[in-house]
Amino acid sequence: MVAPGIVDERPGRERQLVRFIVFGIAVLVAVSGLTARMVYLQLVSGQTYQQLATSNSTFQQAIPSTRGLIYDRNGLLLVANLPSYSVKIRPSDLPFSQRATVVAQLSSLLKMDPADINTAIDGNPGSNFDLVRIAQGVPVATANLIAEEHLALPGVEVSVDALRHYTEGPLFSEVLGYTGAIDATTLKQLKSAGYQPDDLIGRAGVEDQYETQLRGSYGMETIQRDATGRQIQVLSTDSQPVAGDSLTLTLDTKMQQQAQVAVNWAMKASKLKSAVFIAMNPQTGEILAMVSTPTYDDNQFAQGISNAQFQALLNNPDKPLINHAVGMQFPEDSTYKLVTGSGALADKKLTPTTLVQTHPYIQIGRDKYWDWNKRGFGKINVVTGFAHSSDTFFYQVAQMLGIQRLAYWARQFGFGAPTGIDLPGEVAGIVPDEQWKQDTFGQAILPGEVLQAGIGQGFDTSTPLQLLNAYAALANGGTLYQPQIVRQITGPDGSIVRPFAPIVLHKIAAPASVFTTMRKAARMVVTSGHTWNLRNEPFVVAGKTGTAEFGVKDAQGRLPYHNWFVAFVPLHGDVSKPDSQLAVVGFNEDANTVGNSATEMVKYFLQIHFGVKHDLRMFNLMKIGDFYGGN
Amino acid sequence: MGVLKAEPAKVHDWATTSVGAYWRAYDLQLAIYALLLAGLGLAMSYSSTVVTGVNPLDPSSNFLRGLMWSGIAVIVFIAATFFDYKWLKTFAWPIYFVNLGLLALSLVIGTGVGGAARWIAIGPLQFQFSELAKILMIVVLANYLAERHDRLGSLRVILGACVLMVPTWVLVMLQPDLGTSLVLAGILAGMLFLSGASMKWLGALAGLVIALVPIAWNYILRDYQKQRLLSFLNPASDPQGAGYQLTQSQIAVGSGGLFGKGLTNGTQDALAFLPVGDTDFAFARLAEELGFIGALLVFVLFVVLLWRVLMAGYRSQDRFGTIFAAGIGSLLVFQLVVNVGMVIGLMPVTGIPLPFITRGGASLISLAIGLGILQSINIRQSRAEW
Repeated sequence: MVAPGIVDERPGRERQLVRFIVFGIAVLVAVSGLTARMVYLQLVSGQTYQQLATSNSTFQQAIPSTRGLIYDRNGLLLVANLPSYSVKIRPSDLPFSQRATVVAQLSSLLKMDPADINTAIDGNPGSNFDLVRIAQGVPVATANLIAEEHLALPGVEVSVDALRHYTEGPLFSEVLGYTGAIDATTLKQLKSAGYQPDDLIGRAGVEDQYETQLRGSYGMETIQRDATGRQIQVLSTDSQPVAGDSLTLTLDTKMQQQAQVAVNWAMKASKLKSAVFIAMNPQTGEILAMVSTPTYDDNQFAQGISNAQFQALLNNPDKPLINHAVGMQFPEDSTYKLVTGSGALADKKLTPTTLVQTHPYIQIGRDKYWDWNKRGFGKINVVTGFAHSSDTFFYQVAQMLGIQRLAYWARQFGFGAPTGIDLPGEVAGIVPDEQWKQDTFGQAILPGEVLQAGIGQGFDTSTPLQLLNAYAALANGGTLYQPQIVRQITGPDGSIVRPFAPIVLHKIAAPASVFTTMRKAARMVVTSGHTWNLRNEPFVVAGKTGTAEFGVKDAQGRLPYHNWFVAFVPLHGDVSKPDSQLAVVGFNEDANTVGNSATEMVKYFLQIHFGVKHDLRMFNLMKIGDFYGGN
Repeated sequence: MGVLKAEPAKVHDWATTSVGAYWRAYDLQLAIYALLLAGLGLAMSYSSTVVTGVNPLDPSSNFLRGLMWSGIAVIVFIAATFFDYKWLKTFAWPIYFVNLGLLALSLVIGTGVGGAARWIAIGPLQFQFSELAKILMIVVLANYLAERHDRLGSLRVILGACVLMVPTWVLVMLQPDLGTSLVLAGILAGMLFLSGASMKWLGALAGLVIALVPIAWNYILRDYQKQRLLSFLNPASDPQGAGYQLTQSQIAVGSGGLFGKGLTNGTQDALAFLPVGDTDFAFARLAEELGFIGALLVFVLFVVLLWRVLMAGYRSQDRFGTIFAAGIGSLLVFQLVVNVGMVIGLMPVTGIPLPFITRGGASLISLAIGLGILQSINIRQSRAEW
């Protein structure tokens, strides 16, 4: 039946019905295709995709361990950890088009040079998906502001890190060193040890030397994150972090302060550019104080030093980033006469009473090798020769020994090899012998060079620490110790991981009598009046001065010079006994003073150390002027 | 151009048929399947609202908004059922121009992501008129083809239908909305085929379209659209962009397994690995949370709904009803296949929503209008065979 008013549309209906059926079949085929694909994705490969979904959203993250603390020998805290805010950037989340804006905003918020921020991002040691440290020690208010503005600052994250705090400020900088951001090369080497791209690592001093012990080991946790890398929750803690070990140094804060006062005074009084002071216990090799100036502020590094500040330190000609006590070598000059004298006595070239005629100079070929005292000292024995620092005496003794034996005795006293102190960057110094001369210059040692080697000039160089260690061996009767800066390592639970034990490098192959004689000679340096400014003090000191010439002669034919004074204090004032518990070395680089400024510096230290009430300092000796005329 | 003409016969039909007869002719199945699909869509909307940490009962939440749109859609559906569809034939041409007007308005005052002009704000709600355009064009085309049912073998009628589509198509492309323009093309093709147009000419036309692809590529498609199509062919070429979507969407689907992770337990969208997980990729989220069982349920519901849609066309007392049903069927099939195909990596990313499942008020309302008209056709059918 057809409704009224409707045209009969029967023709063509059949065709349309066929089309509807074809369409229906096509739909069934298409939906079957979709279903087949769903079967493949969800049923056949479901497990694989489940793993992909999990690895998508979870990742392993390190849990930082608490870095070990550092104490002085009396248990005074020198390095602590302070929780502080760090600002980091994940470069992959910072669109390149927005980078300039974000850097500009961070620069004004953090009061940083935008160049430093760009350098940090570009110098990223990890991948683009790893965090890069931009600033640390950020004030709470700034950190909150940045955290709140995270929508305007894509890729920027604020986190809480433990920063190193050096409680005594720069007092121990050159010994303690500092921590800083890990660089790409180091990260590559240490990645397997669990280091992270945004990690801090010990970069100098004890912080560097004992990095492994201080760091402990990081833990691991599995966290869930969203596609932007934001952490949603911790799914599991896979391993707990183990806190680092704490270090107790051999250093004594009080003595370090005293040394600092003495060095600062000498630096100022004589307008020095650089100075070193080290105090050590000759019976154990423990370093009690170690000052090297100029230095840096380790807290500045801990807070994140700016590029400009770091470049300034790096380019400073006085090398504040190097610990001069171990990292630089200088000619020893007259202090080296210890080696020549001891060697000649041990090799029986001399007895303590053998007299040698001294001269104004010794001539070799056409060259004249002058004594500092142009009149000579007449006929003198080794004790007097050392006491007056006669150059011509030791020229002749050096000739008796020859360069090979001289070098042998130098090495016996620890010259020419690193002492092995637990500080990074120690240099070896130079002890010239035939082999060294051949290797270095391709020629034999010249006769004149033997003379120079006898008084620690020419090729000889050593670090202040090597020189101090040689005199420490003298003071203790011939045992060469390995100097130590870390006394004890303590585990996070308080157990002692490594107790203190002195390390003997070797016994110097000379009879005890040689050291007794040379100690007497060292005391006579003071009592004879050669080092007259130490003669009448309320403490007994034995030692040796040195005025080491170096570099290029001035208009008057004079060479610039360094001042040395290396000494020890016998325990009960008797130098015949090897019982000293305090040996010190003072070194003033390129000093231009009337007197030996290093002696005055050491004296001032001893004055403070022994609590001498009246001031022993002689200010006129510290003045700038011509030193030649006294040695 | 058509002429407005009143058709008093309809009034007569309405008046002389009892309410019981209407009810017997009402297709309850069609309504139930549509409601079930809309319910699944609401469930996904609920899940996506919960995992983003928004209270689903918060007035601004996507879930509550979806619930409200669903309510409006039910009312629209019922109203469309009562409306005598035969008036559509009378008003086909005004509808056509209203449609063009709305699309033009969208271009002028519309807003959208990345400079697109798609949505028009109506109070607190946004409406996408290109969704409505699909239904309106089905009405216009159904009227056009029904009036010319005896000339469907001629190229002129086929070309005429295409020409009728061109202004709408251009306005949609200008938004730009590649997805909707493809759906419009799909609807046109489906309606021409199902109305019985000459296969010879349809084949020739299809050949022409394929030949025009290079021209479209060079002059019509925008760079990002080309990028999406290219990354379908090689997802590795753009792992962070469109290729990333494809990869992550397949991970979402695959990781759902047989039973799924459970509603609101999906991680791919919750952790933002799956972009637009509550819109174009809603099916990926559904497959992840409800698993293969859930996905199969969606397919089955679509197939039975489609069956009811085609049945309505089959039983229609006039050509208009038949071809209108063909249009709605084409729309549903095209969007189902292209959207799901995109989600599971069988088709390029084109931004075509999945009816009912993809959240969106305009889409839901348009579907309600379309299905409501089908019910209107159902209850006004002649019991006669064709």
